[in-house]
Amino acid sequence: MTAQQDFALKRSQEYKHALFVLVISIALVLVFLVNAFDVTEGTWNKVWGSLTIAYLVIACWQAIILFCMKRDLLNTGDIQKRTRLMSAVNLLTILVGNVFTTTFAFRMLRRKASIEYTISYYMLLTQLLIVSVSLLNLFKPYVSDMFLLTMAVFILLIIFDVVAVVIFGKVDTDRQIKPAFKWLGIALIITGFSGNIFGCILGYSVLLKSTNRDMSTIEKWNKIWSKITKNFTAMLGLLFVIFTFAISIASYGTFVYEFAVENNYESMLLEPSLANPFGTDNFGRDVFSRIIYGARISLIVGVVSTLIPLVIGGFLGAIAGYYNKSIDNVIMRILDVLYAVPGILLAIAIIAAFGANTVNLIIALSVGSIPTYARTMRANVMMVSNLEFVEAAKALGEADWKIIFKQVVPNSFAPMIVKATLTIGGAVIATSSLSFLGLGVEPHIPEWGNILKVGSMYLETNPYLAIFPGIAIILLVLSFNFLGDGLRDALDPKLD
Amino acid sequence: MKKRLVLFLAAVVLVLAGCVNTKSDVKKDESKPSSETKNTSIEILGMSTGEDDLNILRDQLTKNGFNVKLNIQPDYGSFTAQKDAGNYDLALTGWTTVTGNPDYAVRSLFTSDGDNTLFADEEADKLVEKASTQLKEEYTQTYKDLEQLVVFDKAYIVPLYTSYKAQGVNNQVIDEKTLRLPKSRAAVWEAISFKDKAKNATQPLLAQQGISALTSLDPIKGNDGSINTLNTNMYVRLVNLTDDDEVVSDGSLSLNHAIADGSKDYYFLLRDDIHFASVKDKKAADSGERVGAEDVKFSLDRAKDKNSVPDHRTYSLHESMKDISIVSDLKELDVKTTDGQSTVREQLEKGLDKKISTLVTDKTKANNGSGAYQIVKVTTEKPFPQVLNYLAHQSAGIVSKKQVESINTYDVAKYDVNKDIAYGDQKTITEGKDYNNALYASGPYILVSKNDYEAKFVKNPAYMKGTEYEPKISAITVKFIQDPESALSALRNGEIHILNGVPESKYDIVKKDDKLTLQQNKSNGVAYLAFNMKDRDVSKSVALRQSILYSINQEEIKNFYQGNKMNAVSTLSPLVETGLKLEADNNKAKELLKEYQSEK
Repeated sequence: MTAQQDFALKRSQEYKHALFVLVISIALVLVFLVNAFDVTEGTWNKVWGSLTIAYLVIACWQAIILFCMKRDLLNTGDIQKRTRLMSAVNLLTILVGNVFTTTFAFRMLRRKASIEYTISYYMLLTQLLIVSVSLLNLFKPYVSDMFLLTMAVFILLIIFDVVAVVIFGKVDTDRQIKPAFKWLGIALIITGFSGNIFGCILGYSVLLKSTNRDMSTIEKWNKIWSKITKNFTAMLGLLFVIFTFAISIASYGTFVYEFAVENNYESMLLEPSLANPFGTDNFGRDVFSRIIYGARISLIVGVVSTLIPLVIGGFLGAIAGYYNKSIDNVIMRILDVLYAVPGILLAIAIIAAFGANTVNLIIALSVGSIPTYARTMRANVMMVSNLEFVEAAKALGEADWKIIFKQVVPNSFAPMIVKATLTIGGAVIATSSLSFLGLGVEPHIPEWGNILKVGSMYLETNPYLAIFPGIAIILLVLSFNFLGDGLRDALDPKLD
Repeated sequence: MKKRLVLFLAAVVLVLAGCVNTKSDVKKDESKPSSETKNTSIEILGMSTGEDDLNILRDQLTKNGFNVKLNIQPDYGSFTAQKDAGNYDLALTGWTTVTGNPDYAVRSLFTSDGDNTLFADEEADKLVEKASTQLKEEYTQTYKDLEQLVVFDKAYIVPLYTSYKAQGVNNQVIDEKTLRLPKSRAAVWEAISFKDKAKNATQPLLAQQGISALTSLDPIKGNDGSINTLNTNMYVRLVNLTDDDEVVSDGSLSLNHAIADGSKDYYFLLRDDIHFASVKDKKAADSGERVGAEDVKFSLDRAKDKNSVPDHRTYSLHESMKDISIVSDLKELDVKTTDGQSTVREQLEKGLDKKISTLVTDKTKANNGSGAYQIVKVTTEKPFPQVLNYLAHQSAGIVSKKQVESINTYDVAKYDVNKDIAYGDQKTITEGKDYNNALYASGPYILVSKNDYEAKFVKNPAYMKGTEYEPKISAITVKFIQDPESALSALRNGEIHILNGVPESKYDIVKKDDKLTLQQNKSNGVAYLAFNMKDRDVSKSVALRQSILYSINQEEIKNFYQGNKMNAVSTLSPLVETGLKLEADNNKAKELLKEYQSEK
């Protein structure tokens, strides 16, 4: 292998992506295989068994693609059209729910990476996942009154998304695009209100490029998003976060709340089936519906209890960082006192004193993390306020608060965003932990910690009651962490 | 062609969509709670251990048009604090009749001046008094009237269920045939034997208890889960309860007992083969002092006297006794018993090897082998046959007159908990600088020492030696494990041998484990909801209370516990077959609720 060939392999993001997808697919095959074979009875489970076979086939095909890619890269330094077309077959894998191979296949289909194309196929995938998860409700005794209407809207959205994927697959959107595209952008933003935030991002991007004449703004936007869209783990994280958010909104139309909260003594502790994909708990409630409804609380509490300290801590940190000496000292020493109290203990104390409900839960989780945000903000502000443009603003006689909030804060906000994304995961875990301890929301309300608590009592006899909420928590936290990492890579100027 | 295909597809989708059941299709017939009547709010207070019950109640009441708020407290202390503050409409509580007689099940709850009184109702007071003087055949009707009044007519309580008792035992170590699971009385330690009998002398039996803070080891100063089992096995009583709550002399201080005609005089013929045990150098020693009639008189006199000790917690159980005396005159025994056939003497002598020749009043002179016996007579204020159940309760355990008097030297009225050390204070047996074990045990075992993790008991060396009641195992260690789940894990990995109180949801795990056996018996524990009878809407309106009563469906609760609960009507249900049954009735509940809302 010459140095040039070696470089071609190392340079190719697509090759790395293919390798990652192969490894994940093989891991999934193994997981399904373990579930498919019952060691004690020596029997095979049909559902898991067929899933294993399907995923095994996918993994083999992926291995072949990977081999072809390597050959292409070594021989010509570029991936050939035939190899790209081969991976189109993998688009079908969405039917068995393998989003890893599907996203890879979409990526391979366009020769040149494009931000809009990437976001549009993630948007399509999110919509497909929402529809397929919602369709599971058909196996229930009845569906909600809004179900048919909502599903019809969703199917229209899918068609719209497919059109968007096709358009952005063809059009070159690197620079400015035709002004007519702004209508498409507005339409995309409107679809984003269904919860599919990919629509909002894509719409904004299109609007920006079709109406804005300032090249530097477009350049900046392109730089950030091309980094994020090339980072497949960050995109998968974003996919799951947006999916969770979107399904929380979609559940208003497609899910029946009664299945999640009303006791049904005829169907207690049932094994997973089509009607109850995650089984039923000890009160006969459908765990699947409970997890879907639980996502709302977990997300709301997680996001809000991150936003509150972000704003309060950010404000205090900015003030402290800009005005050195006494103000800095007063604010930071008070926050140091708060910092000395362990966060989770403070939360428990607040909840014990004021009672357990969602609002108190949010406050309890927010207060403890104010100091860390303030510290981050202060450090950035101190650095930025010594830069020339701030000096210039001062020299021009600009008011202090204008300098702080127009010049300093916007330029020191990137690390705060990264920190916030990374701590949302922690907040989700803290919410669930407090509910698990009986300090969160009321026990009958579907919340992931509550669901997990019930499951923990049946670990031996009905393990699925704990496994599914556990996986939900793990996936959401992991997604936020991946997304946070991606954001850090994209926003940190030092990594350029 | 394309158009046709699209049309055809559209038609198929429409037909399929028509097949889908929506919520309003299915629930059309169910009347929605009409929005014009405002939902009535109900606050239920409970502990986190009763979270499952609370959830069922919330569900059932919500479905009947109530707006339910749960107040879940983490422990008993905060629960009682909330209850005392009156922050509830309904409180989820339980009652266990440890004496196995119906009077105990109603007296402290349903009378106006009971220890745990729930409400004040003159008619209920009268019925409780009337039933207490009656024998079993007659009191059934009286108790039925009481239940009708308390539960159905006035709806003072909402009964939920009667529990089973369940005990898990390691059958590889313990000979499970020797392990009893009585309905009311606490564990019978002296009967238990290891499977390998050689181990009885060398290895300790490992038992479990949830609470590690012991109220008091003086039997009259406590009546709760922390000491019931321990005191029952440390102090012998005049009579015992069998596994299904019959009063017998087997394994007690009396050889036989008899009730004289009129049901006011009760005679007990004492055995002479029990000595008090004491602790010396952390080992049990025979004190040489016999357990006799003087000790019985002393123990029962202080049991019924409210002022005999500070913090007397059990006098109300023994208030029915008027007089306790040692019988010296044999002629007194020639009265007829309640059956009208035999005399008291004949009943007392039944099955004795040596008939009674003389009666002695000095316990040191008793000698059953030569016919010198001691007899104690208990006289009640009114005819009260159920007094025998109270005498079988742990609070009627026999203590040593000499020892207790030598320790309780303080003045009861001026008792200072920081300075004076009472007999049975847990400080004196807790490892550390205050350790000074002065216990005198009349029962099969004596407590040597305890710490936060375990309590160590050893066998009383002079307890019915050579009889079938002599303790088999020489030492017993009671481990304090609070969490039921951890306790079950401890049983499964061999850390303890016996677990009393396996949770319902874990029966299957114990049953599936080959090493373990699950023993089950009915219990006298009843769970119920008590209404707040002070200044609440529920205290004023019978209709509202009845509406709640008929909203509760016991069958659903039984379903939830996989059939491991029984129906209940009141705390009497496990003891008396009154024939009444509470049937859930949603329509009645809704009508009563409407009635309440219109009268408001």
